[in-house]
Amino acid sequence: MDTTAKPQYDNGVVQYLTVGAVAFLVLGTFMGTFAAAQLAWPALNFDIAEITFARLRVMHTNTVIYAFGGMTLMATAFYTVQRTNGVKLWSNAMAWWTAILFTIGLLAVVVTISLGMTTGKEYHEQEWPLAIAIAVVWTLYTFNFMMTIASRNKETHPNVYVSNWFFMGMMIAITYLYVVNGLAIPVSLFRSYSLFSGVQDAMIQWWWGHNAVGFFLTAGFLAIMYYFVPKQAQRPIYSYRLSVIHFWALMFGYVWLGAHHLQYTALPDWTGSLGAVISLAMIIPSWGGALNGMLTLSGAWDRLRTDYILRFLIIALAFYAMSTFEGPVMASKTVNALSHYTDWTIGHVHSGALGWVAMVSIGALYHMVMKLWNTEMYSMKLINFHFWLATIGTVFYIVAMWVSGIMQGLMWRAYDEYGTLAYTFAESVAAMHPYYAMRALGGLLFFSGAAVMLYNVVMTIRMANAKSTSQVEAHA
Amino acid sequence: MSNLEQHLGTDWSAMTGQDWAGLIITVLVFFGMLITFWLTLRPSKRKELEEEKYKILKDD
Repeated sequence: MDTTAKPQYDNGVVQYLTVGAVAFLVLGTFMGTFAAAQLAWPALNFDIAEITFARLRVMHTNTVIYAFGGMTLMATAFYTVQRTNGVKLWSNAMAWWTAILFTIGLLAVVVTISLGMTTGKEYHEQEWPLAIAIAVVWTLYTFNFMMTIASRNKETHPNVYVSNWFFMGMMIAITYLYVVNGLAIPVSLFRSYSLFSGVQDAMIQWWWGHNAVGFFLTAGFLAIMYYFVPKQAQRPIYSYRLSVIHFWALMFGYVWLGAHHLQYTALPDWTGSLGAVISLAMIIPSWGGALNGMLTLSGAWDRLRTDYILRFLIIALAFYAMSTFEGPVMASKTVNALSHYTDWTIGHVHSGALGWVAMVSIGALYHMVMKLWNTEMYSMKLINFHFWLATIGTVFYIVAMWVSGIMQGLMWRAYDEYGTLAYTFAESVAAMHPYYAMRALGGLLFFSGAAVMLYNVVMTIRMANAKSTSQVEAHA
Repeated sequence: MSNLEQHLGTDWSAMTGQDWAGLIITVLVFFGMLITFWLTLRPSKRKELEEEKYKILKDD
């Protein structure tokens, strides 16, 4: 028996999902940049209903969250579950069906939203037939992942590595949150009404909405962090015990936060207070997790000079720490009174989305491309160039929104000596223009980085394929 | 009744089924977290848990 042979894994579906994720990153950031430009220069709506801001913004969020984020989660989950458990996927065919149906479903979501078909529920705009289809695909993904873990050799792999726990937590939570929030009464093929009404509907919506952030965009991407940071750094995670605490604190705590989106509304006051208090408490595990990732580099910080992929992963953790501090502060009633309904919220979301989710994904995707095609990247310099485009773009974006948001909040609450509002709403909109232009520039930089990544990945795959073809010919 | 008693007091007879469900879940989660901390952080588990982190470095 050849004990030196490398283990064989199902890589085809992971390769498909990896390339798909990069392509959707380019498409989604293009939509976002275009939508940002429309806010700065409204003529860019071109009076075309399908691409007006109201629809384009939702197409953007669905593309980046579900298409890019979802494909990244599927690619990394299928990649890591095989390696951490020393076994192939339970069903490679089911994984392929999952990947292809997910792609078709997401394209259908983007098209139907552009045609104006929407439930109007934030991050759950898909109308009922597509929502059911997505829930079924998600269940296939979850089932296959869990069965892969269950089919491992318990003698060689008695325990399940922590990244798998984060993936499973995300899968279970998103399944019940998505299904409950989506409960609706269909009245036609593309029209339905929520089963809940009034403030209950709002509470269920934000129970889902914040947990889409907490589980889909945090727990899932922490799973990525707990596997890819140690692998790329070639050092074990700083503390395994801290990762276990991080996991359980996140699972127990996150589901309570949603009500902080509804401060000063018809929701009972204590509910918002509870959401704010638990939000503040969540700083502790979040920072514990961020430090756990960063301290993995203890004694090897010089690696950041030369390893551009590691830079993506580590700066993602810095943004994770920053946005998990900013979020609870914004949840507190005093700050929320100023920040709510302003662009500060948009800035906060993007420090998490661009700085944390996209950066950690990009690092993991570059890592997987090299492993899956068994090659070096076409250009490491382009990865460095991408890193700076993404970092500067993110900073431009969030600084613009911080200034814009705080200015909005202050203008809206300013009174004159007679007790009337000092500014009209239109005046506050006009004051935003320079910051909206700056935001569009930040988005353009980030999108350019994504385009550079797509080029680099495509050239890497072409290079690897040409190399393997020439090797086959040499053997023949 | 002092302010503190008024603030912390509960009208138990007014508790609905949902209130009780929420209360029980909250208390269970609290104890769940305590148990997790105890199971994870006790010194005797340190070696066993920390060994897990080295395994992924040689998985491919």
